[in-house]
Amino acid sequence: MADRYSFSLTTFNPSGKLVQIEYALAAVNQGVTSLGIKVPKKTSHQRHRPRHRKEILLPPHRPPSLAKVSLITPNIGMVYSGMGPDYRVLVDKARKVSHTHYKRIYNEYPPTRILVQDVARVMQEATQSGGVRPYGGGPSLYQVDPSGSYFPWKATAIGKSATSAKTFLEKRYKDDLELEDAVHIALLTLKETIEGEMNGETVEIGIVGAPANNLLGYEGVEGAVGQRFRKLSKEEIEDYLTNL
Amino acid sequence: MASSLIADPTSSSHNLYSFSPSDQTASDIRQHSFYPYTDNGGSTLGITGNDFAILAGDTRSTSGYSINSRYAPKVYRIGGEDETGEGAHIVLSLVGYAADGTALQERLNTVVKMYKYQHGKRMTVKACAQRLATILYSKRFFPYYVQAILAGLDEDGRGALYSYDPVGSYEREQCRAAGAAASLIMPFLDNQVNFKNQYMPGSGEGHDLHAKQAEPLPRQEVERLVKDAFTSATERHIEVGDGLQMLIVTAKGVEETFYPLKRD
Amino acid sequence: MASPFSINGGACVAMVGKDCVAIACDLRLGLQSMTVSNNFPKIFSYGNVYLGLTGLATDVSTVSDLFRYKVNMYRLREERSISPQTMANLVSTSLYEKRFGPYFVSPVVAGINHTTGKPFICGFDSIGCIDFAKDFIVSGTASDQLFGTCEGLWEPDLEPEDLFETVSQALLNAVDRDALSGWGAHVYIIEKDKVTKRLLKGRQD
Repeated sequence: MADRYSFSLTTFNPSGKLVQIEYALAAVNQGVTSLGIKVPKKTSHQRHRPRHRKEILLPPHRPPSLAKVSLITPNIGMVYSGMGPDYRVLVDKARKVSHTHYKRIYNEYPPTRILVQDVARVMQEATQSGGVRPYGGGPSLYQVDPSGSYFPWKATAIGKSATSAKTFLEKRYKDDLELEDAVHIALLTLKETIEGEMNGETVEIGIVGAPANNLLGYEGVEGAVGQRFRKLSKEEIEDYLTNL
Repeated sequence: MASSLIADPTSSSHNLYSFSPSDQTASDIRQHSFYPYTDNGGSTLGITGNDFAILAGDTRSTSGYSINSRYAPKVYRIGGEDETGEGAHIVLSLVGYAADGTALQERLNTVVKMYKYQHGKRMTVKACAQRLATILYSKRFFPYYVQAILAGLDEDGRGALYSYDPVGSYEREQCRAAGAAASLIMPFLDNQVNFKNQYMPGSGEGHDLHAKQAEPLPRQEVERLVKDAFTSATERHIEVGDGLQMLIVTAKGVEETFYPLKRD
Repeated sequence: MASPFSINGGACVAMVGKDCVAIACDLRLGLQSMTVSNNFPKIFSYGNVYLGLTGLATDVSTVSDLFRYKVNMYRLREERSISPQTMANLVSTSLYEKRFGPYFVSPVVAGINHTTGKPFICGFDSIGCIDFAKDFIVSGTASDQLFGTCEGLWEPDLEPEDLFETVSQALLNAVDRDALSGWGAHVYIIEKDKVTKRLLKGRQD
């Protein structure tokens, strides 16, 4: 009899749960670990080297050509744990919706919260099994789960070792982190919590940092601002790993 | 001023030129057409003072989006010597169709000179104004396609200015703008020459306010306003520009000045 | 048949001053040569952004309501008020949506951007092409006249009181040379943290 509730996404079982959603969460918790750290905005007198708000996110274990960290808008990136195919559909939709629901109307990219809401709505509408997806952008870091709920974080992890990773992050996190420190902590967290080798091939890192005007592809245009989101190269990741 | 006669032809099928090619699609029968008028653009402006009158016009001549000439005067001396215009005491500006403008100017000039030969005295501006109205109305059913402004000094030596519609309806005024940018210049003149919508400071509130009375402006001030009006019109109207020509009538005769305007 | 833009008549103008902007409109509503109302304002406020609309009166009402809805939805979603620049883009895209059946309006946007503190004005054609002007924007049946008066009277960096006098004289004298505009005016002077709205008496003909 209990099986009856397993087929419908929208029928509560006798104990008040949507079991398909529970299953989806379970799937996510078996997925490889991803995490994100928000780097707080510096007040002017605290400012040292980099003067922009930054955050990072990263998952390990990248099978060739199956990236987990994706650019959504020039200033927003996204990462996941869970079902790869679902994630890629969601990346497509997030990219599309950031234009159709926002840039084509206001001629500017959506703030992170607005995009999170749009993506969360897509997920709620389907209430499909996907993956838990934390993603970063602007000054903020959000996690969206398969039910469509979303949460803002200072730092979080999802996937198989999420619990231990979060415990580790809790100990290491400080309110005055620099971007480099955040990348360092992220890699330490992964190293402590996951199995397998870590190198430039198996770890992905995306950062949201100062505008990268060198990525514009042109120069000399007044007021042009480069994208903030970018993925670190294999070499950059290995540099960080060497100094771990 | 009746401008209904000015507005229409540009919106008809033969738009920019007098001659229009025939429509040759799918027919052996061809029809040619001839439209006797072209709008050559440009603007003119006249303002009077206590003892002078100024007539000004830009020197651009256009047809459609083409510039025919950057120096085609549309302000004329009336009743002076041949060629030089020396001794003239009346000035006339004609804007609209340039060919009609020169033809009308020549005709009025002849009339004023004939008047002097026959009567042995200069024609008054008032008489000349009436005569011009007659000439325009005589072509009531094939009008001179122009807006005219006539200026000089009246019998008391004060600045006098008359403005016309293409078929001779006229009135004496303090100031008038005509031509392509008339709608831009005229409200500016209302405000700066006749002090429209201006009130005496501290003269009361609401309905008690006293309107600022218009009084003749000094020549320097008027020349400044004319230049301002034309630089503004040049900025916003494509048919106005290149040069600003001014004829200034005083008791001493007619002075001419020229200022360059933007040529874009 | 008359153009839909000139059936009802009306005029609107916006100007930039020193750390301030002005936007003003006439109050006439007509049907061809007959005046129907002398109290039909054409400026609408959406938080700290102001929108002037001239053209077909039914579209003026419809479009002003449409933007009241859109701007309210924006404020609820984003938990912030809309900036003049974003409003300009919203107006542009909304008008272009109706590219082949446009609203017969010529909008004007004015306001101060509260992030940058800079004054902002712009105008549009009826299908959303934006005219970013540094000095002034005019629209309506008296636009020719307004171009003349604004070009003649405006100067850079006017203080709020002088900007008020300039925009008022520009509008009043322009509408007095347009049979379809006039019958009084509304003038808004917008400063960083102050907006002054004045009702002007004009010629009643």
